Amino acid sequence: MDEESGDHPIVEVWKPMRKITIDAVTRIEGHAKVSIQLDDNGKVSDTQLHVTQIRGFEKFTEGRPYYEMPSITARICGICPISHLLAGSKACDAIMSVRIPETAMQLREILHCGQVVQSHALSFFHLSAPDLLLGMDSDPASRNVLGVLEKFPDIARDGIALRKFGQQVIEGLAKERIHPSWVVPGGVNTPLEPAVRDKILSGLPDAKATVRRTLKFFKGVLDQFKEEIEHFGNAPSMYAGLVDSGGKLQLYDGGIRFKDADGKIVVDHVAARDYSNFIGEAALANSYLKAPYFKPVGFPDGVYRVGPLARLNVAKNCGTPMADAEFAEFHQRLGKIVPGSFHFHYARLIEALYGLERMEALLNDPAVLGKQIRANAGVNCQEGVGMIEAPRGILIHHYKVNEEGAITWANLIVATGHNNLAINRSIHQVAQHYVDGNHLQEGMLNRVSAVVRAYDPCFSCSTHASGQLDMHIQLFGPQGSLLDELKSA
Amino acid sequence: MGEVLIIGYGNPLRSDDGFGWHTSRKIARELAGRGARVITCHQLTPELAEPLSQSSHALFIDADVEGEPGEIHWREVLPQAPASSALTHTCSPAGLLSSAKLLYGRCPQATAVTVTAQSFEFGDSLSPVVSAALPKVVERVLQFACPDELRK
Repeated sequence: MDEESGDHPIVEVWKPMRKITIDAVTRIEGHAKVSIQLDDNGKVSDTQLHVTQIRGFEKFTEGRPYYEMPSITARICGICPISHLLAGSKACDAIMSVRIPETAMQLREILHCGQVVQSHALSFFHLSAPDLLLGMDSDPASRNVLGVLEKFPDIARDGIALRKFGQQVIEGLAKERIHPSWVVPGGVNTPLEPAVRDKILSGLPDAKATVRRTLKFFKGVLDQFKEEIEHFGNAPSMYAGLVDSGGKLQLYDGGIRFKDADGKIVVDHVAARDYSNFIGEAALANSYLKAPYFKPVGFPDGVYRVGPLARLNVAKNCGTPMADAEFAEFHQRLGKIVPGSFHFHYARLIEALYGLERMEALLNDPAVLGKQIRANAGVNCQEGVGMIEAPRGILIHHYKVNEEGAITWANLIVATGHNNLAINRSIHQVAQHYVDGNHLQEGMLNRVSAVVRAYDPCFSCSTHASGQLDMHIQLFGPQGSLLDELKSA
Repeated sequence: MGEVLIIGYGNPLRSDDGFGWHTSRKIARELAGRGARVITCHQLTPELAEPLSQSSHALFIDADVEGEPGEIHWREVLPQAPASSALTHTCSPAGLLSSAKLLYGRCPQATAVTVTAQSFEFGDSLSPVVSAALPKVVERVLQFACPDELRK
């Protein structure tokens, strides 16, 4: 298969070990592979997601001044830099022990909404639309953005326009689309100009119309995916998301609400500084992505999901009119708790609408043009935690500094990491249902990849190790039999 | 018919790969908003298809790998359907022109203006030979993009 043509991951079938390797999972951010172990009957016996990147940010930032962390951690990713800028700055705000000015909070949230809109547009239109519009079993050579462009130009135009609008919001506020330096510890570094505000406001009606049009289209095609909806990672799990004091969806601030699979609130309003009381982290073999879990339940059963689907499962409502109408219809159609990972796509569109409406409300507040935009202070606390809802889920930056403000320790728990255990379980469910090792077809493996895509993972961002990394060397003979192996302690 | 669109792209932290970036920023300062629209970006993305469709002529400025370091190339670009992995991580000028036509109904005539790079190593400055080519490219692009009387 030609890897260059996009949707042709290398598929190796190892005999007699009976293992299928999807390398790499396509149309995601970052790099990952999936291994599927088959039994003697050709049925799936085991699966695993392997995140193959290693970054090291938590280590090489030791010794750096705390106020550099937002800029440094923004470089973890070119897709999600705003999320790291915001979480990193919030951690620094905590080290400085400042409450940032109201205008600065509004401006950070508007930036964040722009980021959510462009990120969700990328995920839906560019990465997942080829499967949703062209079909999971369609020809891989054309099951890509080009195929969407040729067969559904209206939808392709909408996707490009919506992503462009989100990027223009970021550029208008922060002057740069990628790795801007505008968000800083204590606030932001320039106020909003009225002309920029007006330009963003003028683009909102079209952007909202685009999302509503897409929602209408997507709801109309849901029936075509009944089997996928039934078998795409819908095993019961907990859910975690940020909410405000009234239980409304919160993307910039708020505390963590954990709900169980039946919708009962298990823990509520967990503040950023208390996250480690409820979230533990484990290392998995053969993957550089650590596996957070709900501590009171323990590892590995403490599986919880984050991201758009989880947020709409934990929140009471969104808090903006159009998004709330869609939120109500979402739960009316699918239930009080929506377990199917396929519905991440639906939730993502509702959140894009919320992001646009929330942006509009903030921009229409006269306080957003205020000139008090930054609180200044030094080190007043030697530990700080910043937490936001990145497009893909809860993002936590936790720093410890010495008296001079140099980083002595850092821990990042990134959205996709929270979903590690859930993604693994979803892959297992999809593979068991669709993959037949005796009659292997490409569409079966595309569905395994598609369930990963449903989570909209950013593996570049999320790959952070916990503890000592494993070394595991295996020696195979010419017939594929295992001759020897070496594992680190 | 719209104005000329100048797109300079590349990574300014990879030495000569930043040629398009530095050149278009210089052109933008010279034009000061008159005569042509200038876009400076790290890479070509699908969002450029719409402004391309609205322009009279497009100039793509980038570093090249063919030829001797410092050589300036001025080549016509024709629309060509992009490779199937395009529009996600990599867009080419030809692919973007094709997308502009497909999505927005038209694409302009287009030219790729490139300079052969000497180095793509990590670094935030151009090599001497590529740096020497920059003012020549700027001058030629300005002459093409807008009449002399507008620039005075």
